Amino acid sequence: MRDEIPPGTLDMLILRTLARGEAMHGFEIADSIQETSDNVLHVEEGSLYPALQRMLIKDWIAGEWGKTSENRRARYYSLTKAGRKQLEQELARYGRVSQAIARILQPA
Amino acid sequence: MLRRFRHLFHRDEFTSDLNEEMQLHVELRARKLHQQGIGTTEARYMAQRQFGNYAAIQDASSQLWGWTAWERLFQDFRLGARTLAKAPGFTTVAVLTLALGLGINVAVFSVVNAVMLRSLPYPEPGRLISLWEEQVNRQALLQSNSTGTKVGNAGSPRRTTVSVANLLDYRKATDAFEGLAAYDFTPMNLTGNGTPERLTGESVTAGYFEVLGVPPALGRTFQTEDDYEGANSVVIITDAFWQRRLGGDTNVLSRTVSLDGKTRQIIGVLPKSFASPAQFGLKTLVEFYVPAAYPKDLLIARGDHEVNVVGRLKPGITTQTAQAALDTISAALGAQFPRSNLGTRAVIRPLHEDLVTGVRGSLLALLGASGLIVLITCTNVANLLLVRAVARRHESSVRLALGASRFRMIRQFLAESLLLAAAGCIAGIALGRALMSALVALAPASIPQIDHITMDWRVFGACTAVATLTGLIFGIAPAWQASQAHPAESLKNTARQAGGKSSVRWRTALTVIEVALSMILLVGAGLLLKSFVLLMGVNLGFQPDRVLVMNISLPALRYGTQSQRFEFFTQLEERVRALPGVMAVSTSNRMPLRGGWSTGITVDLTPTESHDCDSQAVTNGYFETLGVSLQKGRLLTSADRVGGLPAAVVNSAFGRQFLNNQDPIGRRFRRGPGTPWITIVGVVNDIRRSGKTGLITPQIYLPAAQSDIYPVRLADFAVRTSGEPRQLLNAIQGQVWSIDKDQPITTVRTMEEVIDASVSQRRFQTLLLVVFAGVAVGLAVIGIFGVLSYSVTQRTSELGLRMALGAEPRNILTLVLKEAAVLVTAGVAIGLAGSYALTRYLEAMLFGIQRTDAITYLGAMTLLATIAVIASLIPARRGSRVDPIVALRYE
Repeated sequence: MRDEIPPGTLDMLILRTLARGEAMHGFEIADSIQETSDNVLHVEEGSLYPALQRMLIKDWIAGEWGKTSENRRARYYSLTKAGRKQLEQELARYGRVSQAIARILQPA
Repeated sequence: MLRRFRHLFHRDEFTSDLNEEMQLHVELRARKLHQQGIGTTEARYMAQRQFGNYAAIQDASSQLWGWTAWERLFQDFRLGARTLAKAPGFTTVAVLTLALGLGINVAVFSVVNAVMLRSLPYPEPGRLISLWEEQVNRQALLQSNSTGTKVGNAGSPRRTTVSVANLLDYRKATDAFEGLAAYDFTPMNLTGNGTPERLTGESVTAGYFEVLGVPPALGRTFQTEDDYEGANSVVIITDAFWQRRLGGDTNVLSRTVSLDGKTRQIIGVLPKSFASPAQFGLKTLVEFYVPAAYPKDLLIARGDHEVNVVGRLKPGITTQTAQAALDTISAALGAQFPRSNLGTRAVIRPLHEDLVTGVRGSLLALLGASGLIVLITCTNVANLLLVRAVARRHESSVRLALGASRFRMIRQFLAESLLLAAAGCIAGIALGRALMSALVALAPASIPQIDHITMDWRVFGACTAVATLTGLIFGIAPAWQASQAHPAESLKNTARQAGGKSSVRWRTALTVIEVALSMILLVGAGLLLKSFVLLMGVNLGFQPDRVLVMNISLPALRYGTQSQRFEFFTQLEERVRALPGVMAVSTSNRMPLRGGWSTGITVDLTPTESHDCDSQAVTNGYFETLGVSLQKGRLLTSADRVGGLPAAVVNSAFGRQFLNNQDPIGRRFRRGPGTPWITIVGVVNDIRRSGKTGLITPQIYLPAAQSDIYPVRLADFAVRTSGEPRQLLNAIQGQVWSIDKDQPITTVRTMEEVIDASVSQRRFQTLLLVVFAGVAVGLAVIGIFGVLSYSVTQRTSELGLRMALGAEPRNILTLVLKEAAVLVTAGVAIGLAGSYALTRYLEAMLFGIQRTDAITYLGAMTLLATIAVIASLIPARRGSRVDPIVALRYE
């Protein structure tokens, strides 16, 4: 069973994935999110690449070309300072929202 | 931002990077799937399916950089340019049509711009005003004061130039004005510098140049010590005078010139760019300025309205405030000097407004007419575009089927129209330049600043604005049409049927508009043309053919008295009369259409009433020279001389208006208490002294020999010849110089030229509007022809079927003509309403007819309908010749 990523959270998930410190290319990011979520969350490629471009423009992530273990050219993304700050904000917001949702859903 | 720009310039790199990234992604995904136990090929397909649309992702990523909208716009224009280039015939016709409309507009707007919009060439021109005096009928005012009736009965005030004595009082409004200065034309004879020449100059009061705000290029301006009777003789010359007559001599300030026999010291030279307010609307150049130095008697003559006045408002003072200040002064003067000043009021208005007032109405009417032309060209081009849009319907539906949005389609078509408009604008400006030169050449001198017409940013701006607007106007209908194409249509091959009802409706509507607009222009042109014909038919009351008129102004220094001047002209008349080919000669102060002198008189029949009346001093040959005939009594003879009984001849209007139709012979009148009574000895026929548009007014002809009792100067000399009048000019000039070698002759005109000049502005307006109407009708004909041709082509199979079923060619002809009739009738009806609404702006330009003149309207309707029918005959005949077999084969 796979689920779509809830709207508005893709950026946060990408940032969080990159926040582990390791630079990754697009496929690795998608795979990492999928695996970390135990195959529950599936990243749509159609949204992944535009999202990466968007974050490049906003300077939250930086992209650098490198080589894969198989010697293929790939763009490795890493978190910038601004990206880290953005992640903190989004996590805080997400925490607030999910707590609020949880309170509503809890049986009284 | 910087990164965005980098993105803009490294697009290809960006795209290939993204591609590589995505490629890798798919490969890695495929490998992973393979590892999970799926076949290699299958795994690759799965990975690709999962990834989705490469191009869409590329697009989405690319759009994030924010350049897409611009890029699309650029694409639209590029595509537009390519499609237009592929249809050179259509493009040429469309651009030329637009160029015609825009060119006419550019030319007319250039004139309007130069004359009405461009500010006057003085610093802070908005503060300059001109001042006039207005007089209500004093007689009526005095009577109404005694009877207690309202002053409103006094009639509308008469505007005059200003009395110098009053001006001194108006100057006391120092809170309102920085200065008020008077000026007047003072032509003088320049001698001692080659052949004697008569130059146009102005006499101005001290402070004149300060009011205008123009410092001299060299030397100084007039000060109060220059401006009194008996002051040193000084003159300020223009740059043109300095360069042309004095060779740009650097020592100019130490030189003198001889004007009217008087030596004047040059004290200043004006800058090259300087032109006085009096220069606007004057073809001859003002070349010098002398101090007014008004004589003492003029300085106290409050009833003598002689001079033009220009003034400068203090900063922050409005015209209204200044007017209020003047009203107080006028009222005080009226109370203090009721005889001369009761009912006299100083009025001001902005100088610029004052200078253009005579041409404002007709220029605006012409501008409006040229605007109509632009609208007509718009509808015409829109029509062309619609035909094209229909032909391109297949293309449109394919594009829609491939996913183009309707918005994108409209934008694409509009981009094309705007490109057309831009090309039309450029061609229009080029054409406009040419038309402008033609306009300037044709324009009468009375249009101020007509010689200074150039194209400036306003002209270009207006042209660009109008072109853009027209591009949108004529583009919107075809664009909308195209966007309405149905994608499914691309699958059917129905090019012939395509077009649809909606397109026909659009085109019909456009043609109706076109016919209506042409109708309006045609009615306008018709009204002006008829006015002009009526004007030309006006009988002046005298015979202007073969009469040569010239001005011989004798300088006061050498010919100080009336009798000295009379003596000169008597001698000249004798000598010229002896020349072969001369039939009659005459001298007067002013010949008809060349100005005149008007004076207040009282008639012995009603000694308490005073009338204003035109008066001329004439020599005995006047009536014969101009061909004016005696109706009663006698003409002036050599017996009417100094010392004799003061006599006069009047016209018949004099008797009608001043003597209650009683016999004027033997009646007497005088100019005022204390002046001699003058006896009327003859009555001559009425003439229109001020030209064809002028009214017939009472006239007095006084014997020049007795002119010592009137303040006139003999100056206009007229000769009636048996042959071509101009051939005698040299001989006459020789006779003048044999009497006085320093005496110039100026403004030599045949009487016919004078009359011609007097109608030149009307001729100009009429000509332009007739040309405009011609262009409009031509375009409308093209429109009608196009719509009907198209409609016939579209209905080929229908018409063929009708023929096959037994319709006669005649029936088909009627069918098509009926369609034309509907178009034209609707257009003419709308045009009639439009004409009725718009001709009110022409009212001031009409002569002798009402703006609702039925014959003109009928004529315009008939003309337009006839031309329209002829235009529709060709397509109609083609329709009637459709071969049924051929037509049916189309199905």
